[in-house]
Parts: sequence; structure tokens; C-alpha cells
Amino acid sequence: MKVLIAEDELSLRESVAAYLRKEGYVCEVAADYDEASYRLSLYTYDIVVLDINLVTGSGIDVLKALKASGEHGTAVVIISANNALDDKLEGLDLGADDYLTKPFHLAELNSRMRAVLRRRKFDGGHVLNFNEISVDTAARQVWVEAKEIILTRKEYDLLLFFMTNKNRVLSKEIIAEHLWGDNSDLADNFDFIYVHVNNLRKKMTGAGAKYIRTAYGSGYKFMDD
Amino acid sequence: MDKARKKTGLLQKTSRIFVMLSFLLMCCSTVVLYFYVRHILQQEIEEELYAITDRIETSLQQGEAPYSMPPVIEVVEAAATGQKILRDTLLYDDTQGKMELFRELVSFRTAGNRTYRITVRDYVLESQKILAAIIFSYVLIIALVFILLFYLNRAGNAYLWRPFFETLEKIGNFSLIDKEPLKLQDPDIREFSQLNKQVKTLTEKVRDDYRNLKQFTEDVSHELQTPLSIIQMKVDNIINSAPLSDEQYKQLTSIQKDIKRVTQMNKGLTLLTKIENNQFNLVREIDLSEMIRDKIADFEGLSNDKIELVCRDTLVVKMDYHLAEILCNNLISNAIKHCSDTGNIRVETTFLTLTVINPGDRAIVHADQVFERFYRENNSVRSTGLGLAIVKKICDLYQFDIAYAFVKNMHVFTVTVPGDPVLLSVKTPKAKL
Repeated sequence: MKVLIAEDELSLRESVAAYLRKEGYVCEVAADYDEASYRLSLYTYDIVVLDINLVTGSGIDVLKALKASGEHGTAVVIISANNALDDKLEGLDLGADDYLTKPFHLAELNSRMRAVLRRRKFDGGHVLNFNEISVDTAARQVWVEAKEIILTRKEYDLLLFFMTNKNRVLSKEIIAEHLWGDNSDLADNFDFIYVHVNNLRKKMTGAGAKYIRTAYGSGYKFMDD
Repeated sequence: MDKARKKTGLLQKTSRIFVMLSFLLMCCSTVVLYFYVRHILQQEIEEELYAITDRIETSLQQGEAPYSMPPVIEVVEAAATGQKILRDTLLYDDTQGKMELFRELVSFRTAGNRTYRITVRDYVLESQKILAAIIFSYVLIIALVFILLFYLNRAGNAYLWRPFFETLEKIGNFSLIDKEPLKLQDPDIREFSQLNKQVKTLTEKVRDDYRNLKQFTEDVSHELQTPLSIIQMKVDNIINSAPLSDEQYKQLTSIQKDIKRVTQMNKGLTLLTKIENNQFNLVREIDLSEMIRDKIADFEGLSNDKIELVCRDTLVVKMDYHLAEILCNNLISNAIKHCSDTGNIRVETTFLTLTVINPGDRAIVHADQVFERFYRENNSVRSTGLGLAIVKKICDLYQFDIAYAFVKNMHVFTVTVPGDPVLLSVKTPKAKL
């Protein structure tokens, strides 16, 4: 999976690249508008992580050029410091696949990228497998071996999030934000994440899939032994 | 001093002063005129009385027989001379058949070797009538003049002060949020022209400052996002890189929490500015009851509190879709945040109102400040302190009324939509379905 990360802030670029490399992506980086345009004109990528506010130009223009060149196989995830709805709508209108506002969690970015890639691969790409677990993301169904597991909406989202971020410590903050977005601060005083994770864990363990581990007392990790 | 002293309008005040002054002037001049005219008339009578007396004396000295014509002239021989007397007296006038007031001059004159007592009288009533007539016409004329002057004066004042009142009205309507600067006339009166110039300078400065402040808030919010992202990613990376102690992990997740809080605050501030800048104009008809139903589903599993929707009538409003979402979201999340452990949250909609009710332990101390940014009742609940301020801004934008009340241990927030007959008529068939 080949990724281009177009982001002008060095630390961000490197952090994203390092994280995605660990996830098995092949990462290339572009530090400004010109470099991003240049690379996109020369090479083909599966997915582009595109910052809107590039120092020397707008990411929107990069997106326009990309779509104009007929490279429809390249997915685009926009990251922006602007929470501006206009940018978001414009980006999505122009054919971006998803939009993330800074600051975001790397696990969240990864999960979004996976979702985008799944959506783009029509032929069976919507099925996610991990050992005996398979998730049909189109039908929102979960199977362990041949047995279907019935999950609530949040439990399903949670499982998918775990499966796309294997071997990562996911703190309750990251999970809450993934499940409830801006409203996740409401979960501050309560241990609702614990309840949801526990319910999911019970269902999965009951079917023989014991992959959700506790890390550092209050975080979680989805891993094989 | 009483602070709320009743204020009088400028024109009213000047009119009042004018009326008072002219009334005073009228009274004084009338009194003066009265005494003056009375004095002249009296003098006139007395002169006449003396003249008649002199004439009678002359005729007596020429040897004519003394003759009387009572009550006007009486000549009698007197034993001795006496003091001259000038006085008013009441006598029966047989020509008129009633008592009359006379001015009387009694004097003693000698003609030959006889002494005569000559009494001459004249009607006082006549002069009094003249006096009354003069005073009456004077008062009438001067009153007419004053009334005329009063209206002329008032109209004149109104004309003169018009630029001032125009300026005053414009200042009253002045709002920082307006895109246009204050437009003032340049009147031909120097002081007013100066006033307008100063007001213009002042409002321009205020607008500039406000713009700068807003820009600053926006810039800060925006510029903070990148360093926040960097911190966030680094924390994410640390959590995943090396084995940590539980204590270290706890601190790192606490940093994550704080980053989240700053991010939320940033978003809130940017949102407030955007609402002020009127950057939301995807206005369309929105079924708020429907939207709240979706929102409640979103909040599912996020808190122990049950959220109940009581939809008495569908509430349809015309507003920006995104803002409607934020409005519902903030009201409900506020209720969740401040919900006491006992009881459920209730959301009610009617034709024109949206009410969010949550149980609480005690009323908000400063209920009037509840919609102010960064107002927090206590620090036990982590919040950005912007949620309700945003709700208020949105309500202000669409002229919705928002009110808070604490009733029977319940916090009640009510949004009232101004009744719009067009919307109502649109809604009626829907309600029937």
C-alpha cells in the first residue's frame, strides 16, 4: 500500500509516516505544495494524506489537479487545521474520501484510511479478517469461525477500531473520541468505555477470540499472543 | 441621589423652561401693568376733581350762588375751614338707584368772607372697568403671543437639534457585528459636525479593536492546532513505543485529555467567531424533533442517564443545518454533564418550543451568567465553558428566545422560536399525518 503524506510541518509529517510505516504502508512524504504536485504527477499512490494549508499553496488545488489528471484510483484523506465546514464540504465535493481536523489521533487516521481503502476495493475488499474473526464491513456483520456474533453499533465500531489498530495501546481517550467524536468529553467522569469494551470482550471471548488485552491498567490493546 | 431619576427629553425640557419663563413674565408684567394703569387712572380722576373744585371756587368768588348737584357736587357753607380730604366713599346714587363707589374730594374754600365746604365726587367704577379692560386685553394678547412663540420655538428647536437626534439614533443602532461602519451626516452646525466626527472616530476605533481581537482569537485558535497535533502524535507515539510504568501511562493519558479539552475550546471559540461573522448560511427547514431523536441515539451508551424525547408537536425551524445540530448537541450534552444521579433527562418539543430538562441538586447561583462564555458553576465537571455561550449565540442569530429556570430540582432550558405563520401553515398537514 503506497501512501503520500503531504504535510508541511516536519514533526507531523514524520510522526504520521513513522506510524503508517509500522502499519505496513510504504510512505513517501512531501513537504510543500510543489513537492506534492510533483510527486503526484510522477507516481501513482493508493492513498494521499493531504494537508489543506500547505505553506506554498492550498491542498485543495493539489486535490483539484489530481482529480483533473484522471487518477481516480488514488484515495484522498484531507487533514486540516481548519474546522471550517466550507473546506470540508469543498474537499468532499472535489472527491476527497474523508476529512480529519487537527489535532487527530494517529490511530484514528489509520482507521479512517483503512475504511477508505476498504470502500474503494469493491471486490471483497469490505471483508476484514484476523485469524478466526472476519468482519463484513458492508453488512456490518461479525463472524468468529462460522458463528455470527451479534454486536451493538458501538461494539461493532469498537471491534473495527481495534482490528485496524492491532498491537497498539489504545487509551480510553482515543477510543472515546473514535466512538463519540466531539462529545467524547462527556465520558470523562464515567467508565463507559470500560463497559463497552467489557461487553465486547465477553462476546468475543465467549466465541473463543481472546484478543482484547488490558494495558497499563486502563488502556487496551488488540493482539495475538 | 436616585439613580433611576426620570429623564426628560431635550425638546420637552426646553419647552417646559420656555413655558415657565413666559408664565412668570406674564404674571409680573400683568401685575406691574395693573398698578401702573390704576395709578394713572386715579391721578386722572383726582386731577379732574381738583379742576372742578377750582372752577366752583372761581364761580363762587365771582359771586354766583353756590349750587349743588348731588352726589357729584355739593357746596355748603361751613363754620370754619378744615383739612382737605381725599377718599373713597360709598354713596346712594339715586339716578342709578343703588350704592356706588365714588372718589371724593372735600376741600374748604373762601369766597368773599364766607367759607364753603366743597365736595366733588366722581365714579370709581368707570376707571375700574377701563383698568379691567386694559388688563384683560393685555393678558389675551400676550398669551396668544406666547402660545404662538411656544410652537414656533418648539418647531425651531426640533429643526435645530435634528442632526443630534439622528446621530443619537444611529449610535443606538450601532452594532460591532455590522459589516458597514457607522454612516453619519455632516450637519452645517459646527458643534454637531464635530460631535459626528468624534463619534465616527470612536466607533471606527472600537470596530478596529474588535476586528483585531476577533482576528486574534481566530488566529490563535488556528495556530494552536498544529502544535497541538504534534503534541498529540508524540504522546500517541510514546504510549506505543516503550514499556511504560502505569504511572507514566496515566500521566500521558491525562495529557491526551487536556489536549482534547484545548481542542474543544479552540473549536468553540472559532465557532463563536464564525457565528458572529454569519458564516453559516445553509438555511433550510429542519425538523428539530427528528434531529433530536438522532442525537439521542448518538449519545446512547455515553451516560447512565436515560434521555427521553417527548414530542408533543413537531418543531420545524428555519436555520442552518450545522448550527441546528450544534444547538441540539450542546443542549443535550449540557444536560448530561450536569445531570444529577437520580432521574432522567427529558427533551420536549412543541410547535414553538424546545425544552431540555435535567434533574439537578441545586439551582445555578448566577443564573444570569449561565450563557456567558467560560462561566462555570464549579470545576468538578470538566467543560470548555463554551457550550451554552454557543447555544445563546445561535439563538441570538435566529432571534430565538432562550431561557433558563430551576423548577422543582430541575434545570430547565427552553428555546422559543418566534411564531412564524408560514412555518405553521407548512407544518399543520404534517402534524395531521
